[in-house]
Amino acid sequence: MAAQLKDLSHYGPSLCVKFIKSNCSKGDVFAAIGPFLHVYNYKTSELIHRVRIFTANKVHGFNVSRDGKYCVFYGSKSLTMCSIDDLFKFQDISSSERMFTEWIMDATFSANGDQVYILTCYNLVLITDLENNILERKNLLNERSILYSGTIKVLSNAKVIVNAGTVLGGILIWDLFNEEKIHNLTGHEGSIFYVTVSDNGKYVASCSDDRSIRLWDFETGEELSIGWGHTARIWNLKFFNNDTQLISVSEDCTCRLWDIVKNDSSVKLIMTNIYETHLIKNVWGVDVNEMDGVAVTSGNDGRIKKIDLKQTTRYGNELQSFNISKLPTADGLPLDIKSDEIFKGFHWFNFGLVAITSYGKVIKLLNTTMKWELVLSDDRFESYSMTNGISDYSSKESSDDVVVFSNNKCDLLMLKFSKDGKTLTGEQYLHVDSISKLCNCMVVKNDGTDFYIALESPNPRDKFVVLKINIATLEIVHRFNFNKPLNFVSSCLEVFGNRLLVGSRFSTIAIFNLLNEEEIPYMIRRINEGDTITSIKCFEQSENGNTLFSVTNRDGYYNFIKVDMTLLQSHPDVKEDNISIHTIIHSNKVIKGFLEGTLCDGTGDYITYDFKSSLFYIYNETNGYEIASQVCGGAHRQWKLTTLGDDSGYMLVYIKASELYLRRIYHNSNELNTLENGIHGREIRDLSILNQNTDHENQYLFVTGSEDTTVKLCKYDTTNGVVTNYWTQRQHVSGLQRVKFINDKLMISCSAREELFLWEINTEFTNKPYMTIRKPLPTLKKHPDLRIMDFDVLLDCNNTDNFISAAVYSDSTIKIWYYNYSRNEYESCIWENRYETCCILNTSFVQIRDRLYLLIAATDGYLTFYDLTSELSFIANDKQGRIQINEINSIESTSKPVFKIRVHKSGIKTLDVNVLDNGTEFQVFTGGDDNAIAMSIFRLKDVDITGEVTSLIENAASSTVTSCQLFENKNKLLTTSVDQRVRVWDITSDNKLVLKHTKYTTIADTGSCDIIKTDKNKQSIILGGVGLSVWEY
Amino acid sequence: MGKSSKDKRDLYYRKAKEEGYRARSAYKLLQLNEEFHFLDNEKNLKKVVDLCAAPGSWSQVLSRKMFTEAQDVPTAEKKLIAVDLQPMSPIDNVITLQADITHPKTLAKILDIFGNEKADFVCSDGAPDVTGLHDLDEYFQQQLIMSALQLTTCILKPNGTFVAKIFRGRDIDMLYSQLGYLFDRVVCAKPRSSRGTSLEAFIVCLGYNPPNNWSPKLDINKSIEEFFSSCSMNQLSISDNDQKLPKWKDGERDIAEFMSCGGLQSFDSDATYHYDDEILSNLKDKVSLDPVQSPTNPPYKKALEMKRNGKLTRAV
Repeated sequence: MAAQLKDLSHYGPSLCVKFIKSNCSKGDVFAAIGPFLHVYNYKTSELIHRVRIFTANKVHGFNVSRDGKYCVFYGSKSLTMCSIDDLFKFQDISSSERMFTEWIMDATFSANGDQVYILTCYNLVLITDLENNILERKNLLNERSILYSGTIKVLSNAKVIVNAGTVLGGILIWDLFNEEKIHNLTGHEGSIFYVTVSDNGKYVASCSDDRSIRLWDFETGEELSIGWGHTARIWNLKFFNNDTQLISVSEDCTCRLWDIVKNDSSVKLIMTNIYETHLIKNVWGVDVNEMDGVAVTSGNDGRIKKIDLKQTTRYGNELQSFNISKLPTADGLPLDIKSDEIFKGFHWFNFGLVAITSYGKVIKLLNTTMKWELVLSDDRFESYSMTNGISDYSSKESSDDVVVFSNNKCDLLMLKFSKDGKTLTGEQYLHVDSISKLCNCMVVKNDGTDFYIALESPNPRDKFVVLKINIATLEIVHRFNFNKPLNFVSSCLEVFGNRLLVGSRFSTIAIFNLLNEEEIPYMIRRINEGDTITSIKCFEQSENGNTLFSVTNRDGYYNFIKVDMTLLQSHPDVKEDNISIHTIIHSNKVIKGFLEGTLCDGTGDYITYDFKSSLFYIYNETNGYEIASQVCGGAHRQWKLTTLGDDSGYMLVYIKASELYLRRIYHNSNELNTLENGIHGREIRDLSILNQNTDHENQYLFVTGSEDTTVKLCKYDTTNGVVTNYWTQRQHVSGLQRVKFINDKLMISCSAREELFLWEINTEFTNKPYMTIRKPLPTLKKHPDLRIMDFDVLLDCNNTDNFISAAVYSDSTIKIWYYNYSRNEYESCIWENRYETCCILNTSFVQIRDRLYLLIAATDGYLTFYDLTSELSFIANDKQGRIQINEINSIESTSKPVFKIRVHKSGIKTLDVNVLDNGTEFQVFTGGDDNAIAMSIFRLKDVDITGEVTSLIENAASSTVTSCQLFENKNKLLTTSVDQRVRVWDITSDNKLVLKHTKYTTIADTGSCDIIKTDKNKQSIILGGVGLSVWEY
Repeated sequence: MGKSSKDKRDLYYRKAKEEGYRARSAYKLLQLNEEFHFLDNEKNLKKVVDLCAAPGSWSQVLSRKMFTEAQDVPTAEKKLIAVDLQPMSPIDNVITLQADITHPKTLAKILDIFGNEKADFVCSDGAPDVTGLHDLDEYFQQQLIMSALQLTTCILKPNGTFVAKIFRGRDIDMLYSQLGYLFDRVVCAKPRSSRGTSLEAFIVCLGYNPPNNWSPKLDINKSIEEFFSSCSMNQLSISDNDQKLPKWKDGERDIAEFMSCGGLQSFDSDATYHYDDEILSNLKDKVSLDPVQSPTNPPYKKALEMKRNGKLTRAV
């Protein structure tokens, strides 16, 4: 069978998502993704069904008839009507696709479901039956100018309203059947992006380029209220809860809730909640399931996100608060709280909360009764105290719930509670003599029987004291007096085996040996620039005995640090920042705020929590969405986050203005997560597949670089095209130009601001791969617009982690660097030259026989060769396309190109090179902004290059050719272009390109591709643009 | 055009300020003309219409070409009309009309000003608000071109020239195909001053030559599709008598000839220039210049003000 291009998966913008009320048991959320419809069971987040609706066009919207039997899909000029039964029966219904001459804005069913009303962008409504027969055409006289938005509201069989949003701020509301204008609502500025009528026909809601939502009285046309809040354009609105609420989605990544508050004299729109639901930009679609209190949104990032609208009201106990002067008690008698008494500390247990006041009163709140009780009073802990605890969530009968109070005079009080919290089962008082003053006390649980208390004095000469306590008896098992490292101020604690890891200010960690208190701790200093470490958590261990710790910094950086515990044990003398003992294998920065720690959610996703301005956030970093947030006044307050006992979620306890708040964040993943995670918020500019199987067959890692400035590391399956996200790296500050793996672990990315980063991928841990910048290329000019457009590398045959790299710049500069892996240095810029004064777009080394050339392609359409052979005489070619380097020199070259040929009329967007086995010829394949692709042959004659274009396909595409790549032993060429067509070309023996296959891709702005061989005669392809698609050939 | 750091980055922007153009897009028209010379023969440039003209840089170029640099034809015989929905500040020799290009009244006004003579040259540098939805944006851009073309077919003399901004997206070849029915030659031209990273290009339609049996007629109650429906260029016609939505089929497509405009000596809008670059030595002074035209009033001006005053925040 002849090879065929076949698409396996599509990830990209979703324009419409809806809950389906039909009693269709198979699924209850419909989402339009590209030309496809996805059906999900929203409670389990399972994808139930995927059906292709249109041949090429995107589905922009759909509606289901009231009886739930039929649905209609529209998008661009296309329209398909279909029974729900057929929708589920088939994988592809595009053969039923119909079309009209104008863009379709909305299509919906009549009240009794036997007709369809179709609104076009020229304010025309077609009335059809369910067999696509046009019954009538309706329009509003003299109002046929183009619409930016429009909806049809069916109030009854007899009353249908057309809402048309014009480009000039006016909204035309008209009656479909009598074709009469009801209102021309004016007030908005700019184009109207959405307009809708409420179910009861009382209100009109609209939004426009002016960033406001306006509520209008349907009867009178009066503007009732303006809702301000969104910071960018608003795309969609929906009334719900009997028209008492409105939900809006916007270009500002948020979804907002509004109450329609009605009193005697006025109706007001009041914003009541904001959810940040999508990445980078546009949220397009929204719907609400009123019964369950769940909304669902769809966005440009391809994500389908569920939102719990009852985040703080679903169970009734999500948010509780207590004023210290009015604490409810079991016996109804007030606790003897003084007027100036305040909460000083607290710890949450499965049974409830234990707190201490500024007068040394220990009080507890029982979860079951929500009543407070005095436990004891101890004036040693008046005014200054610290509270720590270890919570026991095990199912065993006896409890290990212990709270530890301490003061600055080195007094410690440990209290142990029964499982129900009702009785005190242990009490231990201690005074630590060996330190002069106590400034920090931290507690960590070890295994079943012990826990550690770490005590720090502000006096640098004092020891760092650690007490090992038996949980059962609260007796000291061992006392460690560690020497305190210099410049060390402890901030967090973790225990692993015989090692105690202590985080400090200045992004520093000390690793103490619990077997030898004399041993000087191993120090990992200055992991990032500056800030305090807020958490250290053991994540996993690799087969070869390395342990991986997640480390968070308050300034927002998080790192994964690999520690070789065995090596550490065998080299007690190695004390500082030794690369063989520890390696930072992942480093990244969260989007915002003060990073306080990480959580495990059971799925393996990396969950962080942080503060930004007045909010506390829990965030899924792996997939990039907010799980929960709480307005609490910000980081500068008493607060503590613990898990809820039964694994149902988290408890955030905080104090705000003398009130103590208990905020339960239920980890009911069904209501918090996504139906589809999505990819980038903007165009993928380049992608690269790591051509090496992961532990699973058919699964490969790949990276994407996007206009949204991030680099993502993902995995995909070549058999079904399913993509899994791992990390989103935010190290670049401008949109990416190129990303490319250069060997099995190193990858390079480049962008504006002279950013070229060398990344290392680590795959030794089973949970997930990790990636970090190994070395940025040194920058020389502080020109914000100076872009590195492309690069190429040649590996050193003596060590393939060493390489030379050529980078081409937007100011016509060309630079070649040598990178040494073991020293982790770009040793010098070994060659520098300048082409003309235009932007260079592509580069490639060409090794032919003993000669080395650099090929560049620029916006002028020329292919240009520089001869590096004599200039870089210390570099020799080896046979495998690698190089041998002797002694490094640095050359500022003024040499002119040795050969130049104009191939394209405009910029050369992409190139690929094939050096032929005959050792005298090489082929260059190019694609240009001029819609052309070309094949050129170059010959080496003695030391000179000559060549010509052998095949120029002028109209290879109808718009810019964006990528080309050789495959199948360089006998075939794959091209992508903005016209959304993927083409496969045969390279004939007489050096011509012959079109073999063309296939439409559903990815708009197709800009990049990569292709790998997965099987003897099978290739796997990823296409990138606005979204991505996996194909096979 | 504001006074900003853009100055350093964009040579065309700087040049526009120095040469008194309201926008850098002036150079796009000038570079198109370098290749096609449609503004160089003043005898064929007596009646000109600039559609979607605001802020007016193309009208400025046209005004210089028609009036300042050409003296042979008496000024009274020459008319240059700029049409836009937005108000425009006056430009020498330009008659500005704040009007809707799809309205028959606008057509009547233009014909009136031209004394019922036809235009030699019609151009449009207009673009709609971009939403970020590629297909919708491309459609609206094509509709804008078609509405400009609709008016153009009513005023352009045979063999006249039409130039308009396009976005080279998925369906651009369908537009090329449609234009092929009305003009002898359709070229997709990319001036060097238009960024290579942008999908922007220009269609240059030469030799207006509509079908013999077709007489265009503007009607406020007809959509663009209906306007062109009796001309064979229409992709798909569903007349009032048609009773069924037709099955979907891909439209007729035709790839237009591509041409790069502006010599290689001209600035490359994708390149980064440094102050010590030779190419910059022609630019007069290197300090920041005041903008020629103050920034316009965006519809979201009030929202911006509220944001600046801290009224649009995350916390509810």
